[in-house]
Amino acid sequence: MSDNAESPTETQKDEPSTPQQPTEDLGTADEKKKIDVLLKAVGDTPIMKTKKWSVEKGRTVQSLSQFISRFLKMEANEQLFIYVNQSFSPSPDQEVGVLFECFGSDGKLVLHYCKSQAWG
Amino acid sequence: MADDKDVLRDVWFGRIPTCFTLYQDEITEREAEPFYLLLPRVSFLTLVTDKVKKHFLKVMKAEDVEEMWFDFEGTPLKWHYPIGLLFDLHASNTALPWSITVHFKNFPERDLLHCPSNSVIEAHFMSSIKEADALKHKSQVINDMQKKDHKQLWMGLQNDKFDQFWAMNRKLMEYPTEEGGFRYIPFRIYLTMSDRPFIQKLFRPISSDGYTHTLGDLLKEVYPVAISRDDESKRYQVVIHGIEPLLETPLQWLSEHLSHPDNFLHISVIPVPSD
Repeated sequence: MSDNAESPTETQKDEPSTPQQPTEDLGTADEKKKIDVLLKAVGDTPIMKTKKWSVEKGRTVQSLSQFISRFLKMEANEQLFIYVNQSFSPSPDQEVGVLFECFGSDGKLVLHYCKSQAWG
Repeated sequence: MADDKDVLRDVWFGRIPTCFTLYQDEITEREAEPFYLLLPRVSFLTLVTDKVKKHFLKVMKAEDVEEMWFDFEGTPLKWHYPIGLLFDLHASNTALPWSITVHFKNFPERDLLHCPSNSVIEAHFMSSIKEADALKHKSQVINDMQKKDHKQLWMGLQNDKFDQFWAMNRKLMEYPTEEGGFRYIPFRIYLTMSDRPFIQKLFRPISSDGYTHTLGDLLKEVYPVAISRDDESKRYQVVIHGIEPLLETPLQWLSEHLSHPDNFLHISVIPVPSD
């Protein structure tokens, strides 16, 4: 299933050097429409320079996955696996807003990404 | 009165009589006859339609055949949704057999996920089970199982083996006695006319003061529109596995007995048909 968005629309946030409240949103994020996502690399998958992102609730996992792949300049044939709770891989058409509601903690959704299957 | 275990069997063995017709614009060497099949409610389209593919391939050239996909009255059918859910959501109040159109070209990329092999179905199925257990048991039960146990769940579904499946699945239906139920209930509510695919939220089967939540309580909380007030006529049907459970049914019971093999309660909210 392909997705509409070609380039990331989410607002970029700098990762704080010490664990604390995220820095001010740069864009015009409506608090209700966007959620905070923290991307964590698994194994020797490249780490994204920016890990914290403000993502629209309706954005799909596939769309986010494509964004990460482009950001990491991955090859077209390389696969990316996304995990929630370090336990399951959400369906590509799943909305991040729903994942945040059910599996978010401390105001953010943590997603692990990996070039190979990490948790089966 | 039916035993609770009978309900598990009734759910597992539910079938939908279906008529598969080849899309008129597909290129064939001769006329394609429709193909009739009883579809398991709890399975997935791409897992149970090998016979359909074989049937239509007999009248087609290999170069005219790409990935098979299905539509009902113009709506592409998502293979990763359980068959019974697709029927309840799209064809509940239409005449049987369910008439599905078969395509081998022009795969609708925007509407459907690709399904190149059974391992994709298995991965999707297992992920759903893991997600459900994350909600029910903080993943403790599924993580305590071995890889071969996970495989048994999948093989049970793939080969339509009720006993093989439930020998493992019963573990996923247990909970500490003192809790009274699962941590949260894995559910998805699907609406026919909505921009979002489904509603899924955190919802406890037992409230903090020990009150047993019902199906009605769930709807009131996450989709109150589905419940009509006393003074108005019923506008929506709340359907699970083709039936309308009483709104007073405890949610915990529904989760244990009417979940799909993926451990989710897939609930359709459809408008009451106007005669």
